[in-house]
Amino acid sequence: MTQRKRTSNTQSSSQSKRTSGPAATQEEDDDQTFTQPSTTQVQRGMEKLTPAQVDQKTAEVVQFFLVKDQKKIPVRRADLVKHVVKEYRNIYPEIMKRAARIFDQVFGLKMIEIDAKNHMYILINKLETVEGASPITNPTNPKMGMLFVILSVIFMKGGVVGENVIWKTLKNLKVDVGEKHEEFGDVKKVVTDEFVRQRYLEYVRIPHTEPIEHEFHWGQRAEVEVSKSKILAFMGELHEQDPQSWSQQYQEAHSSSSTQPSTSSQR
Amino acid sequence: MKRAGDGEEAPGQNASAGQRKSDQSDGDNSGCDLGKADMQNEDNNPGIRREIRSKYRELIQSVQQNREDMLSPSNNKLTEVLEEANKLFKDVRQPREAALDAQLLVVTTDLGKEKASQLAAEGAAFDPTAFTEHLLSYMGLNRLNDGEDEQPIGAAIGYLPPDAWHKVAQRAESCFRAAPSFHYMMGSFHAEPPPPKQRMERQRKPPSKEVKRIMPTQLKKMEGSHQEATEKEVERILGYLKTYYQDDPTSPISYYEFVIDPKSFSRTVENIFHTSFLVRDGLARMYFDNYKLPCIAPVEEGEVEAGGSSIRKQCIVSISPKLWKELIEAYDIRNTLIQPSNAQPE
Repeated sequence: MTQRKRTSNTQSSSQSKRTSGPAATQEEDDDQTFTQPSTTQVQRGMEKLTPAQVDQKTAEVVQFFLVKDQKKIPVRRADLVKHVVKEYRNIYPEIMKRAARIFDQVFGLKMIEIDAKNHMYILINKLETVEGASPITNPTNPKMGMLFVILSVIFMKGGVVGENVIWKTLKNLKVDVGEKHEEFGDVKKVVTDEFVRQRYLEYVRIPHTEPIEHEFHWGQRAEVEVSKSKILAFMGELHEQDPQSWSQQYQEAHSSSSTQPSTSSQR
Repeated sequence: MKRAGDGEEAPGQNASAGQRKSDQSDGDNSGCDLGKADMQNEDNNPGIRREIRSKYRELIQSVQQNREDMLSPSNNKLTEVLEEANKLFKDVRQPREAALDAQLLVVTTDLGKEKASQLAAEGAAFDPTAFTEHLLSYMGLNRLNDGEDEQPIGAAIGYLPPDAWHKVAQRAESCFRAAPSFHYMMGSFHAEPPPPKQRMERQRKPPSKEVKRIMPTQLKKMEGSHQEATEKEVERILGYLKTYYQDDPTSPISYYEFVIDPKSFSRTVENIFHTSFLVRDGLARMYFDNYKLPCIAPVEEGEVEAGGSSIRKQCIVSISPKLWKELIEAYDIRNTLIQPSNAQPE
């Protein structure tokens, strides 16, 4: 707990800055100056607040998450602290604990930190989808179909795939990257920007290529949200083949079915 | 690994053998010739250096462009490229060439890695093309043309039903543990988009109106001036000339009396200018009266043709402010016969 003194210092300084400095320049600062408060600090902070105040703040965090999840963009801790938690930042860990409990017990969702370095959180569904009969018929988003195809190809190709393979695959499915698609609009933007920001995909430059080429990996969200074994099962269905015949993919799908986000963030 | 070993011993071997290509125009490396050559000379020959570098670049480019081809397990292209590079490396002398060789090695290693990963995949291989074929059927592709002729692999002809992607998305849902997205029952109000729109309109509208106001007036002025105005003026003057002539056909109309505006020298010049068109077009004729003073008269309808055949003469009428004043005095001109066009004629 040698950090304690420094922590309280940075907090007070960042708080005073918040009231004066322009908001835009602070976004980066916030994350750096925000240090996880220690347990004793949280305890002390909690003593100064009424339970109703803490509940109110927790509800605000929950709502912020739900709204952010509409677009499937991960929540950054820096944004959360800056826009919602604000002056309650000294009890931030407690608020997050409570919010996670609400998601878990009330909504059947799970809050997961997908990026431990940049502190990003997402929500995933805790409940298994029942095959066939879905109680609510959600309007399906066709983009998820395209994402599914891309993730499938990456997975089946061993986790990495050059962008050309993806563009060619999509083209075979009558989605031309160079053209505006009636359902997806700017296909390239959806794939390399939207899906990447949602952390479903990673779009990485392949070194030493001229002209520049990129390759796709699964993003951190996909690692925790998408079931490899189910993809493989679908592949078997499509190809009328036993999923086990893709022995490697089968192995991978069933070893990582416990979905550990930590393994993905290390890559 | 074989490649790296070869590369290391190549320069030494080369130094003793003094191997070099004699025929540069022969693109094929098999056209190598053994021959004793002055090593110093060879090392510094910029032509040979350049050729080696360009060959390396070609090789690198071909590897990058045919990436997919080279990855296919059915051919040996990667080995071919490496063999080609080994041949080239025998002639490498300078760092620049060696750097290119290293670059090629990086590119090919990358390919090798990918190829190796394909091999490592024990069990069934995954073919994206076959996958898309199956998926298209799943999506309900309506195959218009079942003929196998001229149907490129993978690019099935036909069209997809409008719900094709929804169908895939629906199937995908069971593989995703995505949180169901949250929506307000009464809908949420979009706080952001409207304000900027209003601002934009307010800022842009006023200037656009001003532009619109200015433009029409400018256009009208443009139309009124220039050529058309000249024509109108000429016709107007012809009108005056005819009326004066009809008033009294017997008395000649003095040219200067007709043309001069005693109040304005510039109007006078304009009148002279416009009248000259009448004469040129054969609508008016000029002659000297008994006193050798210039007179003007309109050409009557019947006379026009006759006038056309008569010999044309050109003359220049000059006038200066001084001459203009003298003429006004001499003719005792008080009023202009040709009313200015913009002034209301009485």
